[in-house]
Amino acid sequence: MDEQPGLSDQYRMSSPWPMLIAFGIAIAEVGIFWPLAPMAVGGLLMLVGSLVGMIRETGYVESPWPLLGGFGIALVAVGAALFSYSGGAFAVNSVAESTRSAGSVGLRGVSIAVSGGLAIVGALVGKYWTTANADARY
Amino acid sequence: MAMEGQIALTVLMGVLLLGVAVWLTRLEDWRSYTPLAGGGVIGDETGHAHHEKPSGIIRWFTTVDHKDIGILYGTYAVIAFAWGGLAAFLMRTELVTADITILPGTQVYNALLTSHGITMLFLFGTPILAAFANYFVPLFIDANDMAFPRINAIAFWLLPPGALLVWAGFFLAPFADAVTGGSAMSWTMYPPLSAEQTNPANDLMLLGLHLTGVSATMGAINFIATIFTERGENVGWSNLDIFSWTVLTQSGLILFAFPLLGSAIIMLLFDRNFGTTFFAAEGGGTILWQHLFWFFGHPEVYILVLPPMGIISYVLPRFAGRKLFGFKFVVYSTLAIGVLSFGVWAHHMFTTGIDPRLRASFMAVSLAIAIPSAVKTFNWITTMWNGKIRLTTPMLFCIGFVSNFIIGGVTGVFLAAIPVDLVLHDTYYVVGHFHYIVMGAIAFAGFAGLYYWYPMYAGRWYQKTLAKWHFWLSMIGTNLTFFAMILLGYAGFTRRYATYSGLTVGPVEVITLLHQTATAGAVLLLVGQIIWVWNMVNSYYDGPRVETGDPWNLQEDGMRGREWLWFERRLETTIATDGGDEEEALTDGGEVETDDD
Repeated sequence: MDEQPGLSDQYRMSSPWPMLIAFGIAIAEVGIFWPLAPMAVGGLLMLVGSLVGMIRETGYVESPWPLLGGFGIALVAVGAALFSYSGGAFAVNSVAESTRSAGSVGLRGVSIAVSGGLAIVGALVGKYWTTANADARY
Repeated sequence: MAMEGQIALTVLMGVLLLGVAVWLTRLEDWRSYTPLAGGGVIGDETGHAHHEKPSGIIRWFTTVDHKDIGILYGTYAVIAFAWGGLAAFLMRTELVTADITILPGTQVYNALLTSHGITMLFLFGTPILAAFANYFVPLFIDANDMAFPRINAIAFWLLPPGALLVWAGFFLAPFADAVTGGSAMSWTMYPPLSAEQTNPANDLMLLGLHLTGVSATMGAINFIATIFTERGENVGWSNLDIFSWTVLTQSGLILFAFPLLGSAIIMLLFDRNFGTTFFAAEGGGTILWQHLFWFFGHPEVYILVLPPMGIISYVLPRFAGRKLFGFKFVVYSTLAIGVLSFGVWAHHMFTTGIDPRLRASFMAVSLAIAIPSAVKTFNWITTMWNGKIRLTTPMLFCIGFVSNFIIGGVTGVFLAAIPVDLVLHDTYYVVGHFHYIVMGAIAFAGFAGLYYWYPMYAGRWYQKTLAKWHFWLSMIGTNLTFFAMILLGYAGFTRRYATYSGLTVGPVEVITLLHQTATAGAVLLLVGQIIWVWNMVNSYYDGPRVETGDPWNLQEDGMRGREWLWFERRLETTIATDGGDEEEALTDGGEVETDDD
C-alpha cells in the first residue's frame, strides 16, 4: 500500500547495506566467541564490506577501496595482537571444548587477521583490477 | 571431527558470501551510484537516486523508510509474542497438575520460563514500542523520516539474529550433544547459577541479548536525534504530542540502561568462558551482578511502560471527546518517572541482606515513584469524566489498561514496602503484580494502538465483532490468570516451580485450585490472541477499504491528530496521481465501499 506517493516518499528509500551490516555483526560475534574460524572470517568480511558500501552510498567517501583497505589493516593489527598474546598457539577446537585455551585464543587472532588480509586483497583487486568505480559521478 | 566441521562451515560461509555478492550486483548498479547531496541521508530530490521502492520481498530487506521499518518491527514483535505466549501457555498447562505430566522434565519448564521472560521483554516488548515509535513519531513531528534511516534499519536487522541466538538452545539441542536444551538461567541470569551452568545455549543467549541491547541503543539514539532535530516548523516543544514525549524519555532511559546491561552481559560471558571473577564469590561477588542487572532492569520496566502510557494518553482522549486533562502534568510525570526510575533498583534486593539504611532509602524512592504514576492515572480518569465516551475497541483497551494498571500499580506499592516485601518476595504475588503491568497494561496499550491506527497502516478496517471478542477474552483472561497469581502469592506459593507435588503444608487444595484458575485464564488469553491474529491478517487482505482521512470521526470534536492529516494527504495524492497506481485504481472500481466504523 505504501507504493503511493506521500510525505516521505520523495527520496531514496532502499539500501541493501543495513541488513548485511547487522547480519555481519551477528555472524562475526558468534564466530569469534566460539572460535569458529569460517564464521568469524565471513562475518567480519560481510561487516566491513557492507560498512564500506554504506559509507560510499551516503557519499562520505568517493571510492570504497581505500576505506576497505583501512579496515583490513585494522583487522590484521587486532588479529596479530591477539595471536601474539596467545603466545603463538593455534588449535582448532570443537564447540564442546574449552573456549579459553591458548590455542583457541590464537585461532581467534588468526581468523580476525585472515579476514583483514582478505579485505586488503579485495581492496587491491577492486582498485586496480576492476572498473567498479574509481570516481564517484555526480 | 572438529576439523571436518570447520571445513563444512568454510564452504557454507563461502557460499553465503558469494550469494550476497551476486545479490548485491543484481540489486545495485555499481557504476551509476550517486551519493546524496551534502552527505546527508535525508537529501533533497537529486534527480539521480532511486525514487521507487524495490518490489516484493526485496523491498522489505532493503527498506530504510521509517514506516516500513515500523511494520517490520511490528511483525517481528508479533512473532516473538507468539513464541513467548506459547511458552507461557505450555507452562500454565503443566501447572494444572502438581506433578510433571505434559513437559518432558523440569529443565524444559525452566527453559520455557527463561525463554518466556527474555522473549516478552526484549524481543516483544521493546520492539513493539519501536514499531509504534518508528511509524508515528516522524508523522507526529512532521519529519520526513528518522534522523538516521540506515541506522534505523541496522537496529531492526540486529533483532532477528538476536532472537535466533536467544532461542538457539531449543533449535540446536537435537543436533548437538553439548547443547542440553534451551537456556535455563531465568531472565535475571543470577550468578552463581548462570556462571556455572555448562550448557553452551547460555552463551548464545547472552550473545543474542547483547545484540538486542545494541539494537535498542541504536534506536534510542535515533529517536533522540529525530525528536530534537527533525521537528517540522510548526512543531515546537510546547506542542509536541504526548507520545513523542514518552518516546523521548524512554530513549533517554535506554541510553543509560542498555549499555550497562551490555557490559554486564560481557562480564558474565567472560566469567563463564574466560576464567574472570567479576561475579564469583572470590571476586566481585554475586550481589554485584544483582546491582548491575537491576540498575538496568528497573529502568527497563519504565522503558517498557512509558510509551504505552503515551499511547493511552494519546488515544483515550480521542474517544472521550475531550483534550487530555493536565497535559503538562502528564509530561512532567513522565519525566519524573524517567529520573526516579534510576533510584529504585535495590528494591529488587530487599531480601539479600544489604544495609538496612540503603534499603530504607530505596523504599522511599520506590514509594515516591507511585506519585507520578498516580498523576497519570487520575489524569486519564479525569479526561473521561463527563466526556462523550465512545466504546470503540481501542477505547476499550485504553480503559482496560487503566483498570489493570491500577491493580498492577497498587500491588507494586505494597511490594515497595520492605516489611511486606520480606514476606512476599519470590512468591507468585510478584509474578501477578508485574504481569498486571506487562500484560494487563503494556500489551493492552499495544492493542489499543494497533486497533486505533489499523485503518492507517493497513488501509482497511478490522472486523469489529472479532475485536470486541479479543478485548473481552483478554480482559477476563488477564484478570483470571493474574489475580489468581496474586492470591497464590498470599498463600506463600513460591514462583518458578515446575511442580508442587511435594507440598505438604499450607492450603494445598486452594493452591491447586488457584493454579487451575490461572490456567483457565491462560486458555481464554490464548483464544483471544488467536482471534486477534486472525482479525489482523484477514482484515489486511479482505477488510473494507478506508476512504476518508478521518476514519474515527474525530474532526467534530477537534481531536484529529497530525497523523490523520498526513493520511488524508496520502489518500488524496493517491487519487490525484493514480496514473502511477493503475492496478489499484482498476481493481478498486468494483470493490465494496467502506463504512466508517
